[in-house]
Amino acid sequence: MSLEQFKDRNVGTQNYVKLDLEHTPTEGWCKFKQVVKRTFQPELFQGLGVTLREMINALFRNKMHTTKYPFEKLPISPRYRAVHDMLRLMESGNYRCIGCGLCEKICISDCIAMETKYDENQRKEVSEYTINFGRCIFCGYCAEVCPELAIVHGGRFENASEQRAGFSLFEDMLTPMDQLNQQQEYAGFGAISPNADENIKSTPLAY
Amino acid sequence: MYESIAFYVFAISTTILFLITVMSKNVLYAMTALAAGMVMISGFFFLLGADFLGVVQLVVYVGAVMALYAFGMMFFDATKDIKEKHQNPALVFLLGGLMALVFVVMFSAPIIGDNIKAFYPVIEGVGNAQAVGMVLFTKYLVPFEVAGLLLLVAMIAGIILAGKKMDYSLTESEAADEEMKIEPNSIEIQKGDA
Amino acid sequence: MDATMLPEVTAAGVIVKAVIILAVIAAIAGFGTYIERKILAFMQRRLGPTHVGPFGLLQLAADGIKLFTKEDIIPQHANKFIFAIAPVITAATAFIALAAVPVFPDFTIWEWVPFLGGVFVPSIAADINVGILFVLGMMASGLYGPLLAGMAQANKWGIIGSARTAIQFLSYEVVTGLSILAPIMIVGSLSFVDFNNYQTDGLWMVVYQPVAFILFIIAGFAETNRTPFDLLEHEAEIISGYVTEYSGMRWGLFFIGEYANMITIGIIASVVFLGGYNDFWFIPAWIMIILKIAFSFFFMLWVRASWPHVRPDQLMWLCWKVLMPLAVINILITGLVIMI
Repeated sequence: MSLEQFKDRNVGTQNYVKLDLEHTPTEGWCKFKQVVKRTFQPELFQGLGVTLREMINALFRNKMHTTKYPFEKLPISPRYRAVHDMLRLMESGNYRCIGCGLCEKICISDCIAMETKYDENQRKEVSEYTINFGRCIFCGYCAEVCPELAIVHGGRFENASEQRAGFSLFEDMLTPMDQLNQQQEYAGFGAISPNADENIKSTPLAY
Repeated sequence: MYESIAFYVFAISTTILFLITVMSKNVLYAMTALAAGMVMISGFFFLLGADFLGVVQLVVYVGAVMALYAFGMMFFDATKDIKEKHQNPALVFLLGGLMALVFVVMFSAPIIGDNIKAFYPVIEGVGNAQAVGMVLFTKYLVPFEVAGLLLLVAMIAGIILAGKKMDYSLTESEAADEEMKIEPNSIEIQKGDA
Repeated sequence: MDATMLPEVTAAGVIVKAVIILAVIAAIAGFGTYIERKILAFMQRRLGPTHVGPFGLLQLAADGIKLFTKEDIIPQHANKFIFAIAPVITAATAFIALAAVPVFPDFTIWEWVPFLGGVFVPSIAADINVGILFVLGMMASGLYGPLLAGMAQANKWGIIGSARTAIQFLSYEVVTGLSILAPIMIVGSLSFVDFNNYQTDGLWMVVYQPVAFILFIIAGFAETNRTPFDLLEHEAEIISGYVTEYSGMRWGLFFIGEYANMITIGIIASVVFLGGYNDFWFIPAWIMIILKIAFSFFFMLWVRASWPHVRPDQLMWLCWKVLMPLAVINILITGLVIMI
C-alpha cells in the first residue's frame, strides 16, 4: 500500500450523486406540472422492484443475511474482551498464575478475589480465585498487568445466567488438561485483528 | 313465519337500541346504540325486498354516525358519564310521550282504515336500483336536485369556514426551502484538489 | 354460463358454502400472518419464522396457543362492554361481507361423497342483487371496530387511533364508491355474478377501466388499513393506536378481521376488474380465482415491504384533491362513452 493513497483524502466523495432538488413551485400551473410529473414517474415501481430483487436474491441466489445465532456464530475479533481464561504452561501443564496478586490490585471494579499460600515446595499456590462477573466491566486491565500472560480474555461472550451475579472459579476458567494442545496464546488486547489490512480506509474528510 | 320472526327481532332490537340512545348518559353507549339501531333499520328494508335501499341505509348511516363519533370524540370524554341538566323532567317526558303518540296515531290511521296503497308498486322484472332510479328521476326529480344543491351549498360553506390556510404546507413552501437551505449548486462536488 | 341451465340452489348448498367460507377463509386469514411474516422477511433478506414445524409452518399454531392462553386484560377505566365487543365487530363484519362475494365458481359435490353427494354449491352464499354495495357497506361498518376500541380503552393512543379511523373513513369512502361506479355503469348491475358473466367472453374490466382499477386499489389499501395508509396503528407514531390496550384473543380477532378484509378486497378486485372466476386459456376457473386472490394478497405484502407510510393529512389531501376528481372525471367520460 503506497503512501499516495493516504494523501488523497477525498476518497469518500467520489461516489456522491447530486440530488435533483428543485424549488417548491409557487404558481398553480407549476404545481400542477409537479403533480403530473410525480404521478407518472415510475418511482413507486422502482421501490417495488428493489424489494422484489432482494427477495429473489435471498431466495434463489443464496444471499440470505440471517445468521442462525445459537447454532452458528460469527467470528469475533481476537481483541474482543469476553469472559476470562486462565492459561497453562504448554511444557508442564501447570497453571501459569504465580499468585502475585497484581490483577486483584488493579481491578477497578474490585471483582477479582484471590487467596494464595505456599505449597510444600515453597512455591506460591493459588488456593482460591474468583471473578465476580456481576461486577466485572471487562476493562482488560487484569490481562494487561499480568506478568505471566496467565489471565487473558477469552471469546465466551454468552454470559447470561439465572442469577444476578455470576461467579467464576479458577477451575472454570482454567484450560482443561485434555484441551491443552488447543490452547491459544492471547495476542493481547492491543493486537490487531487478522484481517486488519482489509479494514484500513483513509479518512473520508477533506481538510 | 320466518319473516314475522325476523320482523319482531328487528323491531324489538331497534326499539331497545334507540331507547339506549336517548336514555344513556354515556356518549359512547348512545352513539354505538344509534349506529347499531341504524343497521337494524336496514334489516326492515331487506325484509321488504328493497335490497338497494337497505344497503344505502347501511352505507349512509355508517358514514354519518362515524362523523358524529368524530364530534363526540372532540367534545366529550367517552369513558365518563355526562351530567345532564333537566329543568323539568316530567314536562319533557309528557310532551315527548304525547308527540310519539300523535305520530303513532298519524301513521297507523291509514293502516287501520285499510286506506293505504302504493303509488309506485314494485314492477316485476326490474331491479331494485333501477326502480329507485326511475322514481328518483321522474316524480321526485325536483326535490332530488334541490337536495343536491343544498348539500353543495353546505359543502362550500364548510370549506370556506374551515379552509383558511388550507394551502399552507409545512414541508413544501418557500420558507421550508429556506429552512433546508436548498440552493441550486450547493450540492455540487468539487473533485480532485483538496 | 347459461342462467337457465343452473340447478336450483338448495339450503344445503348454501350451508356448505357458508362452512367453506368460514372454515377456509378463517384459516387462511390466520395463515396470512405467517405468509406476511415470511414474505416481509424474504424481502429484507431474512428467514422469517423457521423453528416451529417445517419451514416454520406451525408458527400459526404456536401463535394461536399463545393468543388463547394470554391473559385477557381490560384496562381499569375502560368502558368494559364496548371494549369487549369492538374486536367482535371487526371480525364479524369481515365475515358477513364475505357472505356476499363469490369465492369459488359454482360446483356440484361429487356423487360419491356421503350425505352431501350431488348438492349444488353456488358461487355466492347470499346472492343479493346489490352485492357490491353490500360488501362495501359491510367493510365500511367494520371500521367501527377500531373506532369503538380506541374510544373505549381510556388511553390517549387509542383516542388518537380512533380519531385517525374517522379521518381515514371520511377520506377513502368517497373514492371507493366513485371508483367502482364506472364499472357498475358499464355492466349495469350491482351483482357480482353479472360482473363475472360480463367478462366471460370479453376482455377484463381493467382494460376498459384502468383508472378506476388503480383508484379502487388505492382505496382498498385504505379500507384494509394496509401499509401506505395504516394510520390507525402506526407503531412508530401512536404505539399501536386502537390495539394498544388489547391482548390475547381480542387482539387476534382484530387481525383475523384485517386479513379477511384483505382477502375480500382481493376477491372484489379479481371479480370486478380482473376477469372473475372464468377460465383463462387452459387454466380452470377455480385455479384462476385462487391465483388472482393470491396475487393481490402478495401485492399488499409487497407494497408493505416497499413503500413508506403517509401522514393522515396527506391521505386526506390525496383522496379529496386528487383521487376524487379523477374518479369523477372517469365517471363522466365513461358516461359520455356509454351515451355515444
